[in-house]
Amino acid sequence: MALLRRALAAVAIAGIIAAVLRLRGSGGTPPQSGGWRELSGPGLR
Amino acid sequence: MRFLVCGAGAVGARAARHLVADAETTAVLVDDPDRRRRAAVTSSLGDKAEAVEEPDPAAADVVVLASPPPRHLAVAKRAVAAGRHVVSVADSVGAVEDLLDLHAEARERGVTVAVGAGFGPGLSCVLARHAAGQFDSVDEIHVAHHGTGGPACARQHHAALRGVGFDWRDHTWRRRPPGSGRELCFFPDPVGGSDCYRAALPDALLLVPAFPGVSRVTARLAATRRDRLTAGLPMLRRPHAEGRIGGLRVEVRGRRGLSRDTVVLGAVDRPAVAAGTAAAVTARWVASGRMLATGAAGLAALVEPLPFLQELARAGVRAAVFEGL
Repeated sequence: MALLRRALAAVAIAGIIAAVLRLRGSGGTPPQSGGWRELSGPGLR
Repeated sequence: MRFLVCGAGAVGARAARHLVADAETTAVLVDDPDRRRRAAVTSSLGDKAEAVEEPDPAAADVVVLASPPPRHLAVAKRAVAAGRHVVSVADSVGAVEDLLDLHAEARERGVTVAVGAGFGPGLSCVLARHAAGQFDSVDEIHVAHHGTGGPACARQHHAALRGVGFDWRDHTWRRRPPGSGRELCFFPDPVGGSDCYRAALPDALLLVPAFPGVSRVTARLAATRRDRLTAGLPMLRRPHAEGRIGGLRVEVRGRRGLSRDTVVLGAVDRPAVAAGTAAAVTARWVASGRMLATGAAGLAALVEPLPFLQELARAGVRAAVFEGL
């Protein structure tokens, strides 16, 4: 019974950690230079 | 030219409005299961518009499908069988696959089925083709979407976040779990940066056939933490009548001479407005014989990108380039 409780606790903790990692964290770094410019001119460049 | 617009929602109503404003349009037939909405849209469009109880593709030169994607295939099949062109704004993997399957019959009958002719996919495909024009060969295309149009689009966004995504990698299809592959994508202002994830998006299905030799094509969808947490549940509240401003980001990598380079194009607009405009421009091009091919395909394979983007810009949908990579 104790083993089962420990296994369930481990699964629950792993689930919580996975949920936190899934919902938090960083997706990358913002560009450090450059910017958007509307396409213009006859060639829309 | 006579057009049948199926679906008088956020996208269909905009498409119909563009079409009635064209001097060469003689009639726009509006079909929608919601009788009150159909009547309201038709009466706001003026004399050229006419409400219809049942969509009859044979009554028009071009059929514009702006209803929820599951309804597209049945009408598209009837339209192709009747020798009529089809423009669909379908944005779900299933609907796009079904419509692409009409390719052989459409080719045989000499008609065009423009698949995914909205904002994303649609304008995204045209931007990819436009960027590809700056390369000798294209190696990779990466598309990101932000925002939703009307309620059907919001439902599709919700469903996409729990559906398996398809990436094209090393010349083969790979299934990707939804919500994986987080990437911080920067869209033109005012959208800015947003975390984007793999989802059930049809972009790669439309882009891969249009770019023979491309080795990687991916598509991601911007989502909030709440979107991802609740993706597996039914929508907890009714979707909004129309979303706020959305964006597209299309990154194309390729070879130019001996060097490799990257071009990033984007667009921001209200997705339903941009989708309606893109669908109307596509419908006019189809009707006037300006498409590059017959059969079922995405816009990257069907339109000349420069004049198409110029026409969209005249209608208020403008693209942008990211400089300083």
